[in-house]
Amino acid sequence: MLLGMKIKTDTPVAKKAREGVMEFLLMNHPLDCPICDQGGECDLQDQSMAFGSDRGRFTEMKRSVVDKNLGPLVKTVMTRCIQCTRCVRFATEVAGVQDLGMLGRGSGEEIGTYVEKVMTSELSGNVIDICPVGALTSKPFAFKARNWELKGTETIDVTDAVGSNIRIDSRGPEVMRILPRLNEDINEEWISDKTRFCYDGLKRQRLNDPMIRVADGRFKPVSWRDAFAVVAEVVHQVKPEEIVGVAGQLSDAESMIALKDFLNRLGSNNVWCERNGSHHDADLRSTYLMNTSIADLEKADVFLLIGTQPRVEAAMINARIRKTVRATNAKVGYIGPETNFNYDHQHLGTGPQTLIELAERRHPFSSALLNAKNPAIILGAGLFDRKDKDAIFFAVGTIAEYANAIRPDWNGYNVLLLSAAQAAALDLGLVPESENSIESAKFVYLMGADDVNLEKVPSDAFVVYQGHHGDQSVYRANVILPASAFSEKEGTYENTEGCTQQTLPAVPIVGDARDDWKIIRALSEVSGIQLPYDSLEAIRSRIRTVAPNLLHVDEREPATFPPSLKPKVTQKLSQDSFRTAVENFYMTDSITRASKIMAQCSALLLKK
Amino acid sequence: MQPRSRGSPISILTRSDGAENSTCPRSLAQLQVRQKAPNSQVLPLSPLSLSLSLWYYSAGATSPKMLARLAANRLLEIRQAFRQPSRSFSTALNYHLDSPDNNPDLPWEFSDANKDKVKEILSHYPSNYKQSAVIPLLDLAQQQHGGWLPVSAMNAVAKIIEVAPVRVFEVATFYSMFNRSKVGKYHLLVCGTTPCMIRGSREIEDALLKHLGVKRNEVTKDGLFSVGEMECMGCCVNAPMITVADYSNGSEGYTYNYYEDVTPKHVVEIVEKLRRGEKPPVRKLAGHGTQNPNRIMSGPEGGNTTLLTDPKPPPCRDLDAC
Amino acid sequence: MASVVKSAFRAIREKGVSNFLRELRDEGYLRCLPDGNLLQTKIHNIGAKLVGVDKFGNKYYEKLEGMQYGRHRWVEYAEKSRYNASQVPPEWHGWLHYITDHTGDEASPLLMLKPQRYGIEHKENFSGEGDEFIYHSKGHALNPGQRDWTRYQPWQPTK
Repeated sequence: MLLGMKIKTDTPVAKKAREGVMEFLLMNHPLDCPICDQGGECDLQDQSMAFGSDRGRFTEMKRSVVDKNLGPLVKTVMTRCIQCTRCVRFATEVAGVQDLGMLGRGSGEEIGTYVEKVMTSELSGNVIDICPVGALTSKPFAFKARNWELKGTETIDVTDAVGSNIRIDSRGPEVMRILPRLNEDINEEWISDKTRFCYDGLKRQRLNDPMIRVADGRFKPVSWRDAFAVVAEVVHQVKPEEIVGVAGQLSDAESMIALKDFLNRLGSNNVWCERNGSHHDADLRSTYLMNTSIADLEKADVFLLIGTQPRVEAAMINARIRKTVRATNAKVGYIGPETNFNYDHQHLGTGPQTLIELAERRHPFSSALLNAKNPAIILGAGLFDRKDKDAIFFAVGTIAEYANAIRPDWNGYNVLLLSAAQAAALDLGLVPESENSIESAKFVYLMGADDVNLEKVPSDAFVVYQGHHGDQSVYRANVILPASAFSEKEGTYENTEGCTQQTLPAVPIVGDARDDWKIIRALSEVSGIQLPYDSLEAIRSRIRTVAPNLLHVDEREPATFPPSLKPKVTQKLSQDSFRTAVENFYMTDSITRASKIMAQCSALLLKK
Repeated sequence: MQPRSRGSPISILTRSDGAENSTCPRSLAQLQVRQKAPNSQVLPLSPLSLSLSLWYYSAGATSPKMLARLAANRLLEIRQAFRQPSRSFSTALNYHLDSPDNNPDLPWEFSDANKDKVKEILSHYPSNYKQSAVIPLLDLAQQQHGGWLPVSAMNAVAKIIEVAPVRVFEVATFYSMFNRSKVGKYHLLVCGTTPCMIRGSREIEDALLKHLGVKRNEVTKDGLFSVGEMECMGCCVNAPMITVADYSNGSEGYTYNYYEDVTPKHVVEIVEKLRRGEKPPVRKLAGHGTQNPNRIMSGPEGGNTTLLTDPKPPPCRDLDAC
Repeated sequence: MASVVKSAFRAIREKGVSNFLRELRDEGYLRCLPDGNLLQTKIHNIGAKLVGVDKFGNKYYEKLEGMQYGRHRWVEYAEKSRYNASQVPPEWHGWLHYITDHTGDEASPLLMLKPQRYGIEHKENFSGEGDEFIYHSKGHALNPGQRDWTRYQPWQPTK
């Protein structure tokens, strides 16, 4: 391409050339369009309609290729492969697992793994989007729907804290599949397997009627009026300090502010979000957000990962780190239990001992940190549960200081949260007043909280569970109030970097369930302590008084004050090594635990 | 213009079999059918009977049952025609199936002598491009393992050159000389390209296969011989030729000798010599591979007929004749 | 006319009067009195050849000579009082309507064309017969096995 070149794209010669290329592509391609899942969204179909000729001349025998087994997620019909090698490139470059290759040569070329290997990478579902033909398709979605029947709704994923932008394709009341949306800042154009295939958990084990536990321990479906009457009665009988509220991992900001307001009006200040349980500090936003935004992680040249395994906690952030490591050979130091990464890293240690060494600059990695232009330190939210959490954060603060990680133009001090509701919860102030309030609680309001430890709840406490799946906490509940899942409500979520995003309802709410905040509003009216808002706009203006950044949708609000404002901590670091926060990547919340596909994946694909 | 074979049942039923009559095979299918034709008596009969049966059916005389039987027969014929011995170049498929002597759990290492060779090979390439050494290393591994590459050898090579194993698999499946399934101790390769073919390489191959009692790429029962087809090895003047890859002595005794100007009889003699353990004469000095005693290298039988004298000096340019 | 009387007397002699009368009633001759169409059919049957009987009991007659072309094939239904044209099964329909000469008997290739795997039995047209007979789709409230179309599974407690 030189200046002054005249390139003709519309001449008969150019058109003939295009038709020739299409003819070559289609020569060995089977006549599978009626049975191929990619029909209707197939690049080859579109290109041949736009540029191909109307008739073919191929009268020979077409070759066929053996199908490969790539796991329970990716269905392969390798005869349809046109050997574009996009999947090979994706696997080596983006996913980091070099499993696929182009074997053989000529028309006998096959894409495969040569040995029988399943794709265990957590980004393996993206090859389904990448493949232009129907060679690699989604196995759970096989033969379920054609793409023109589906209505796409652009929402946000809530299975982890990244907030990947997705498009939920639904047909009527049913979610058929989930596809990624392009968002250069957060997830580029990829989504992890958990995001992509958790949708069948939305159709199983759903709560659809309010239920009350009767005397023999079983649940009886009742009407909303009766359920509210029971709850309101109990509410008036307990003392304010015995009331506890726990918001779940998947709760949106509107319902969390409603819950907090309701319980505050009842006199209790013990409301928190379940994964934040012991993190009682919502003063400085920079202590619980990813201050280097996800896009700016690409500018970092040294990463220090402390107590976090990004590959299972936030797969898209791991992909971004891998992109940086691959592009600039950034150094990655990791402190924590032994895990496998898909990029080169140095395993510096397993516990706080290494942190002390780094803070005192005795560790060899300290020199890398010192010489780094843009160091990025990422702490995991699993550290919130430790007793010496404050000491750890203080030690990391000292490391950040000498590594010059916190500057006006670059803030490398990051916390990687685990669930979608944590950041918004802390922004809204869902911080409990007393630490062990749950042990003396008489009225526990669980709003979708399935991972909270209910053993400490006294046996005579009255537990209300408001959620969408009958997962773990329902078995302790006395009253069940069915709520809507993320695909059925319009809710505000804040991801781990502080970017506010909204979900949109893709399918109607299941059964007799309602939105979370609407339930709390109705309950408050029945209890006599009516909340002042009736509509979504009213709740949002209430949010504006507390955390106005939650109203600026699709905008990232960076933290204003650095973490150095926190007072010095003299607590000693304990010797316990860091633990993994996410044991099973495929089963982390109520939706993924209810999903059959996730169960298959965790049986077959977990890296042993 | 007759419709060529398309593979669909209808056209197979109505095909008027221009296959045997056409001189230039248009498709692989017809080529294979042509190959089978000398041995089969099935093909010439059926089109006539089929067309008759169709006429009868339209007149109402044949029942659908009879038509179904005829169609099944025809399909069987076609399947038999396609069940040819493998004419592929490569000894194995493009994907690996575990077997007791070829699976990733078997340990495999270069022998000590070969380890030095490996170091020497790696020194030819820059240290950050170790993966350029993949082809010579795979070749060495193949020689060491008796002529073929098990999956564990390819994994070992991948570890040496520090790449993912699938990259080594890609290279190994690309090149047809990397045997990924068992071959005989003496792997006989017959050149099958045009110059050799017109000088009778097909008869050579048939003679070998018949004598050894195997099909192409199959190993004899005693594990000594296997026959494969190769591309042109450059001995077109001395066509037809075979080459013997000698894997009987590991990588030290590995030889790859051409035997040119062979005849079917001669080739069987070579095989018998190898079986007894002798080395058939390669005639490196006088014949340089040609097995025809009357030829010197690539010269004609009976000596040169041209180039008998010294070459003429170059003509002097006539500078005045412009 | 004479042949009719002769066959009637022969039948009385063979089977007895009461049986003969019962047979008359079963075969619909009694129904001929109110139903003129049936009477017409019975009159046509004189001198006609019985070509075949189908599995429902409908009898198919053909009379080629002395008959107006276009009226030389007809059916006498099994159900003498409640008959309608949709009771003719597909294998005889072609023959009856002069489409083909293949009758609906067993040896016919037409019957062999009926797909074994998914071909169902012939049902007459039940419209207007009442809610128990009319076809209702799987989700219709009047379908006795009405299917549940909800796309989710409600929570089933495991403990």
